[in-house]
Amino acid sequence: MTPPRLIFVTGKGGSGKSAVAAALALALSRRRPATLADLDRRGSAAGMLAAAGKADALETLALAPRAELKAFIHRIVPLRSISKRMLRSRTFGYVTAALPGLEAFLMLERLRLIAGTAALEDRYAVIDAPATGHALELLNVAGGIRELASTGTLHRLAAAVEDFIADPNRFGVILTVSPEELSLREALDAARAMRETLRVGWIAAALNFVTAPLFSAAEVATLADFPEHARLAEARRRAGRAAADARRALRDAGLGVIELPMVFAADFDHAGLETLCERLEQGLSQP
Amino acid sequence: MKRPGSTALALADRRLVVCLGPGGVGKTTISAALALHLALGGRKVDVMTVDPAPRLLDALGLRVDDSSLQPVSLGAMGARGGARLRALKLDPKRVFDRLIERYAPSAAARDAILADRVYRNLSNALAGVADYMAMEQLLELSRAPDADMIVLDTPPAAEALDFLGAPRRMLELLGSRAVTLLGAAGDAMRGPFSMLDLAARAVLGAFDRVTGLHLLGDVRNFVRNFSGMYAGFAERAEAAGELLRDPRTLIVVVATAERERIAQAIEFVAALNEMDLKAGAIAINRLRPPLPGAGEIAKSRKIPESLRAKLQSHLADLAALQTREQAALDALHAALPQGVELLHATDLGREPRSLADLAEIAKTIRRA
Repeated sequence: MTPPRLIFVTGKGGSGKSAVAAALALALSRRRPATLADLDRRGSAAGMLAAAGKADALETLALAPRAELKAFIHRIVPLRSISKRMLRSRTFGYVTAALPGLEAFLMLERLRLIAGTAALEDRYAVIDAPATGHALELLNVAGGIRELASTGTLHRLAAAVEDFIADPNRFGVILTVSPEELSLREALDAARAMRETLRVGWIAAALNFVTAPLFSAAEVATLADFPEHARLAEARRRAGRAAADARRALRDAGLGVIELPMVFAADFDHAGLETLCERLEQGLSQP
Repeated sequence: MKRPGSTALALADRRLVVCLGPGGVGKTTISAALALHLALGGRKVDVMTVDPAPRLLDALGLRVDDSSLQPVSLGAMGARGGARLRALKLDPKRVFDRLIERYAPSAAARDAILADRVYRNLSNALAGVADYMAMEQLLELSRAPDADMIVLDTPPAAEALDFLGAPRRMLELLGSRAVTLLGAAGDAMRGPFSMLDLAARAVLGAFDRVTGLHLLGDVRNFVRNFSGMYAGFAERAEAAGELLRDPRTLIVVVATAERERIAQAIEFVAALNEMDLKAGAIAINRLRPPLPGAGEIAKSRKIPESLRAKLQSHLADLAALQTREQAALDALHAALPQGVELLHATDLGREPRSLADLAEIAKTIRRA
């Protein structure tokens, strides 16, 4: 798996998206300088990196839709005096009311520019994106804008953003998945939508919280006198099997799968992040 | 297992329970479990779920493509007399269409809006529509007679305001000067417009041409069609606000025992306060059940040495996770805002797939 310049990390809530984004940025920063950009409004991934002690070749960045809109208006309204006045007034409200989806689109355009810079400077960018549902809405917005705007600046930009999303050298998605029915289904649905509708060229799954089954059915059976222990052993065995089933389902769907272990530690700190980081590095080094 | 007597007490005089929280913490499960628990106690309960897992959908007797209120069969559950549970799955688009149908001044206006590309764009793409429609669905449910109690699941939110602020944001958008400005034809502007408004309108026109959107005409039509409905929307938003502030409403912030989620839950409670709303409880879901002691397996001769070692190493793994969980809970205790009750719910060890599973989860819900 040759990583694209920009990797967009999304997944169902609770699947460890921010931890994976942070660990991935850390892993890539050991190859080339890297940027971790937060789109989730909370800066969760950046916070995890900070708690774990940040690496030198890694910078963090928070992206705000409002700032993108501002930059766009400055770009498109050449007269500074007018654009400044628009920005001071309630015009933001006017523009966003008239063009729903514009802010989201401009965010995508920013990602395209970040990937372009990353290619020029030979670096990587990792995006801690919103959870799957919102992430799909975000990625879909370029197609919507291109249809709404039949010609003109936005049409050209939208087409460029769509090409960017489809280019496996510049844009890729890592879907974080926990080995549970709902999370797996959501990831498979998202992967299909990303491939078929958005033509995303590089998608991989990060199967998180993987445990070895540890116990065989026969071993669980010998624990009949100790129901509490039998229940725990059975739960572990099932979790291990669920992970194996999820891995198979993801591979059957044609996705590269990077398995990340359940970190059994009293504190998910530097060591936890480092474990995920090593596995991601191994996963990305596979053919 | 502990009887949930204290929980039932806290809910006895409530008419509405709203479960808020970030994605992936089990809001839908907690909502369904609470609703079932209340129904089995002999009440008539309606529960609205958002995007339930297929098995939970099955357990509630719902179908993916149906968004109507369906009776849930409590036959085998040992319900008290008078018990009734109905469930529905939120379909934001359909609720929005119904809302338009209700408030459109004429059939022609209704058809024009439903076919309008701006409306279609708005109803599909605008972030917050699902939140607003959950609120609208709540109003529909609350006005239906014949229910003692409503339990409301909400769309996943990064911030509490996503859901609770939705009606206000929608109103601000629809009632904004921007929309009025766009909607008014040159000769029919309502109210005085400043020079800046006029300048903005001119710039917006240029913007429209440069960007190639040519949307202004459409937006103008849309707003003209919509203007007759604004009062209806405003009234609904007002009613939703009142319902949420009613003393018989309980707002429950759901989270899991992870550092990040707990920080988020505390932020939710603060954001609610800022909106003059009060979180009644924080519910920590999926707590690990207590671990059995290692003593009994250490002594048993029936367990081979290799298995014993594995059991012990597994117990040590789980104990580490429990320590992590406890640290998160301690942080919550230290930061728990005054007057907010703390509820715990224990992990079932599997995804709930039947009413019995939901009832089992409900039984574990307790005051911490």
